[in-house]
Amino acid sequence: MVKDTLTGLKVRHAMRKQLIMLDPVDSIDCAIQYLIKYKINAILVGKDSEKPLGVVSKTDIMGAWYSGLSLSTPVEMIMNSPPLFCGPDDTLDSALDTMKANKVYRLYALEPGSNTIDGVLAYPDIVGLLYHYCSNCNQGIFNKSDEMVQDRVKRYKVHEIMTKQVESCKEDTLLESVVEILWGSRFGAILVSDDKNYPKGVISKTDVTFCYRHGDDMTVTAGKIMSSPVALCYEHDPVEKAIKSMILKDLHRIFVIPKKHAAVSGVISLTDAARLRSGSCHACISSRIRVDDD
Amino acid sequence: MKTTAKDVMVTRFKTLNPDSPITKALEIFKSSKLDGKTIFGIMVIDKDGSIVGMLSMYDILLFLLPKHVKIWGNISDIEIEGIIERATAKLKNYFVGDIMTPKIISVTPDTHLMMVLDIMMKKHVRRLPVISNGEAVGMVYISDLFKHFIERV
Repeated sequence: MVKDTLTGLKVRHAMRKQLIMLDPVDSIDCAIQYLIKYKINAILVGKDSEKPLGVVSKTDIMGAWYSGLSLSTPVEMIMNSPPLFCGPDDTLDSALDTMKANKVYRLYALEPGSNTIDGVLAYPDIVGLLYHYCSNCNQGIFNKSDEMVQDRVKRYKVHEIMTKQVESCKEDTLLESVVEILWGSRFGAILVSDDKNYPKGVISKTDVTFCYRHGDDMTVTAGKIMSSPVALCYEHDPVEKAIKSMILKDLHRIFVIPKKHAAVSGVISLTDAARLRSGSCHACISSRIRVDDD
Repeated sequence: MKTTAKDVMVTRFKTLNPDSPITKALEIFKSSKLDGKTIFGIMVIDKDGSIVGMLSMYDILLFLLPKHVKIWGNISDIEIEGIIERATAKLKNYFVGDIMTPKIISVTPDTHLMMVLDIMMKKHVRRLPVISNGEAVGMVYISDLFKHFIERV
């Protein structure tokens, strides 16, 4: 068995305890309000003190809008059921394997033998744990003051784990097409670029649900709703630096350029960083490192 | 003897529309005092006069809280400059209905004060709208409830 930095750690060490649950008859509008307010990507659906019935994600909400459903539609009509559970004492490694095998981005920790949800585990929570690990390690990049010592440590660079295929559109692309692209990709956001592929803005699933709630229609153009400027990092930045940037800018992903004023060459997300399952440098003995490919 | 919500509720209160920009709510929070009380929570009423939510100081602070703040404790060199400005600037793009609490707990004018107290304690709320026939008629504040009880000690 290959060990990695997370070996031996349990779900309860990384999960968040703040849990929100919607009633099955609550509206999509209500779901969007909670997703915005709590800055989460999905929300549990169920009745108090009963085992949760399903999950509604931003992707489901985007699909509801695309299908022409009204904001007053009950969430039970669009939820994914049942939710995927893990135990608070399951290992993080097994939880990550479950997430990968089922292509989901979060698991709900269910107290064994009961209907009580203890917490939720998502990729950014695992990154938090890894970041904590690195920040306490004397080889961590931000603990180094001596440049010579720092140079001897081989660090994971952004280009090693970034995704090279970046979905993009132009400023005059209609929102309807943006939704179709987002629907078909595993990414939570699409890049808006100019003719030379220089980054102009970003449209996330959050932006799309926001438009739905505000009564926009699908003929609005990408340029009108995109967020700009685009948060960027360099291909050769250490992964730890990119993670820090995402954390401080409250982002889930950051686009990658090879050099200043160049076209975007990739995107790195907290999910990618979590899948690394290691601290961000090769200072861990090599047998403990495993890069988890898709 | 005062025993129900109507006996301690205030009947003068501010309201907001869900379609109002959040900046309008902030103006009220910044400047308003009603009957000597600083306002920390405002009822949100739709065009039909029905209460659709509540916007409180907590809702706004929760929105300002960065998503990954749990990890911040591990970052020793956070560049503070601009972080608060970025968070507060985001607020300006939102409407009251976006971040209000939509599922509110309310009482009626005839709800017994012990029931009001029980709800406040269990649900950790400091104010409860008082609704009669679908219309907001008052607000019970925990401070008024407290004063009401200690006067009887």
